[in-house]
Amino acid sequence: MNKDVAITDSFGNFFSFLIQELKPRGPWLTPFNIISIPVILTGVGILVYRFIHGLGSVTNLSQETPWGLWMGFDVVTGVALAGGAYVITFVVYVMGVDKYHGIVRATVLNGLLAYSFYGAALLFDIGRPWNAPNPYIGNSFGFSSVLFLICWHFLLYMIAEFVEFSPVIAEWLHLEKAKRFLKKLTLGTVILGITLSILHQSGLGALFLMAKPKVHPLWWSEFIPILFFVSSIYAGLAMIIVEGTVSHRVFSRLIPEKHHDHFDDIVFGLAKGAAITMFVYYFFKALLFIHDGQWDLIVDGWGLWYLVEVIGFVLIPALMFAFGFKHRSLRIIKIAAVMALIGIVLNRMNVSVICYNWYADVHYIPTWQEFVVTFMVIFSELWVFRWFVTRMPVFSADH
Amino acid sequence: MDSFTYVNIFETKGLEYLLLLCFWGLFVYLIKYLSTPDKKGNDSS
Repeated sequence: MNKDVAITDSFGNFFSFLIQELKPRGPWLTPFNIISIPVILTGVGILVYRFIHGLGSVTNLSQETPWGLWMGFDVVTGVALAGGAYVITFVVYVMGVDKYHGIVRATVLNGLLAYSFYGAALLFDIGRPWNAPNPYIGNSFGFSSVLFLICWHFLLYMIAEFVEFSPVIAEWLHLEKAKRFLKKLTLGTVILGITLSILHQSGLGALFLMAKPKVHPLWWSEFIPILFFVSSIYAGLAMIIVEGTVSHRVFSRLIPEKHHDHFDDIVFGLAKGAAITMFVYYFFKALLFIHDGQWDLIVDGWGLWYLVEVIGFVLIPALMFAFGFKHRSLRIIKIAAVMALIGIVLNRMNVSVICYNWYADVHYIPTWQEFVVTFMVIFSELWVFRWFVTRMPVFSADH
Repeated sequence: MDSFTYVNIFETKGLEYLLLLCFWGLFVYLIKYLSTPDKKGNDSS
């Protein structure tokens, strides 16, 4: 193809191609743009202020509550929601289930961007962000900290996901030889990525092991790493259902016809997986509840809140997934997926923010600036995701 | 002769064993339930 040569034969051509691709496409005045642009600009302003005047100037964080919305949502929750990438790559490349091949690229891209943005968002929440590279450069490595493991896993997993996604970039740049080479790396990086994912998804839970006196006993358990890992599986599956449904509407023209037809079948398969995983997770929670003899804790407001999370947003969506799969109801499955995502957000926020220091007289409530910055991170990720899918063959039929 | 004493299920592992038995029973049922999707309805939304 002549275009191959045109793009890559000289730096000048490549540069002009890149400039061309960076230019905005499509109408500017869309509902998403109208909402997201002011939020992103306000968020940037808040962050400039935060880095000049410190965390206390824009957040309600304190010595007693050092982790707030940014850490709780962007990092602890966001990583769980990005779990779809390792689940799908495992199913497609390791188990060899080709049915889900059509959604691998979009899911990996989603995971890569989620980790990049949520990892970057970690810098907002660190009091002394210039110390962030320390775990990588050997300045007080901190081997004994779970965060050391998480830092390295985040970095390695982002590299693994980039390698998994790199054939798409090579295809975009019409580099056929590079694409063939990069595709050969896929299986190895997928296996590395799955290993890293299992460890850091559970590692995020392990962060709270040492906070036993601070986390409400209904949410704290010595098995919290396993709970975090198992819940990340169905969080990822639910996220793929929701994200895929939205993508199939918003980017409808970019998706080949055969993928459109095939997508319902994929959703049913994901729902089945989510139902089984949530069922296991629910019984694991119940077993821990009984094992720890927490009957006395269930009678107050915290107990009710716990039941809302575990029954309302785990058991009920699990049954809905099973019912939706059995009776081929996409509507029920999609509602269940949204409920499952709410359940994951609730669980992670409960562990890291809401039920943290639950006995304190004054509870932490995020400032409006913290909410704006959180939405800024989400909207920025969506902007970049949109840029990728409208330029690169993410939804391509043949790969 | 020793009198018979009831075992308090809350003070033993009894409830945990019962829960696990329930889990395995329901898990097998769930897998069987999900193995044959109903072909009738398909409401695409």
